Amino acid sequence: MSDDELIERAAQELRRPVRMDPAVDARVMATVHVLPRHRAERARGWWAWLTQARTVRVSPLGALAAAAAVLVATVVIVPRLSPDAASEQLAATTDPVALTQAAAASSVDSAHVVQFVFVAPTARSVSLVGDFNNWEMDATPLEAGPARSVWTVKLLLPNGRHRYAFVVDDSTWAADPGAPPAAGDDFGMPSSVVTVTGSSS
Amino acid sequence: MRAAAPVVPAGPSDADLVRRVLSGEVEAYAGLVARYRDRFGRFATQMLGNREDAEEALQDAFVRGYKALARCEEPDRFGSWLFRILVNRCRTHGAKRARRERTIVLDEIALQGAGVDGDVEAAAWREAIEWALAKLDDGQREAFLLKYVEELSYDEMAEMTGVGVSALKMRVKRACDRLRVMLREVERV
Repeated sequence: MSDDELIERAAQELRRPVRMDPAVDARVMATVHVLPRHRAERARGWWAWLTQARTVRVSPLGALAAAAAVLVATVVIVPRLSPDAASEQLAATTDPVALTQAAAASSVDSAHVVQFVFVAPTARSVSLVGDFNNWEMDATPLEAGPARSVWTVKLLLPNGRHRYAFVVDDSTWAADPGAPPAAGDDFGMPSSVVTVTGSSS
Repeated sequence: MRAAAPVVPAGPSDADLVRRVLSGEVEAYAGLVARYRDRFGRFATQMLGNREDAEEALQDAFVRGYKALARCEEPDRFGSWLFRILVNRCRTHGAKRARRERTIVLDEIALQGAGVDGDVEAAAWREAIEWALAKLDDGQREAFLLKYVEELSYDEMAEMTGVGVSALKMRVKRACDRLRVMLREVERV
């Protein structure tokens, strides 16, 4: 038997089906049943069609026209912005940056209000997903600021370590570049970590 | 059979079951567990070397999969997505188990049939393979199983493990070299 045949013969043996104890199913389901149920998916139909992310092909001429329109809009609108909105607009000109701040407004000792901030000037929607909302994209939408570039949401979170990420336009996952990355992310998606402690700082 | 390839089920599709679970029907997850239990249990058993650790890793992977199901972007490829979680759980369980002595348990199917001479020979051959497999480094064993047993491409393996293609090829080559030496020794005995 050649070396290759030897390895192939071993592999064939290892490819034989293996029967696991069906009690595994019961143990998994018993654990799953005590976890929070997933929420119902959003209603389908025209709303789903409107909110579905899709790829748009644009010709070079079309891209130039769009860029010109943005330039005109910026020149016309920016001088009319309030100082706060202007600073937001300034932030919008940088690369998307997210900041996570543990806010002071704690309501109970074991939980604190945490404000999540994400800068995404071109986003149509941003939502927060994490282990605290079962990674449900519809559960925690962020609200856009006046210039629609800074997105925020406040959540009451129990003390402890929480993993989270932002989802832009229902399709693009992004970790928070201003927070530590989650280690051992075995789901293949970027995520970050926020630690909520008894201190409000 | 490819671990990364979607299963073509007799009942509801993976995507249907995932959608039902995400809409709040917890029981639908049992269909996914039953569908992938044995298939993924084989990898976990061969990776960890015993049923007890394999079942623990398998359960852990399924529970984690449920918690993160909303993050499964391609529900029709649920199996591939969950297998990736399982590979990681086996690494974690393998690291824990490394502190204990590795116990090799013969596959129950092989043991059940070990009544006549031919079956005894087959069981001995399988025992030799499992013994040799257990002697490999964790990384080599993982790469060998993914390549030769789960029959993944190197690109799929890289995506699954986060290890580069060239490093995976090297691990598979070294695994094969070591297995050949050990299995030849067994043949001579």
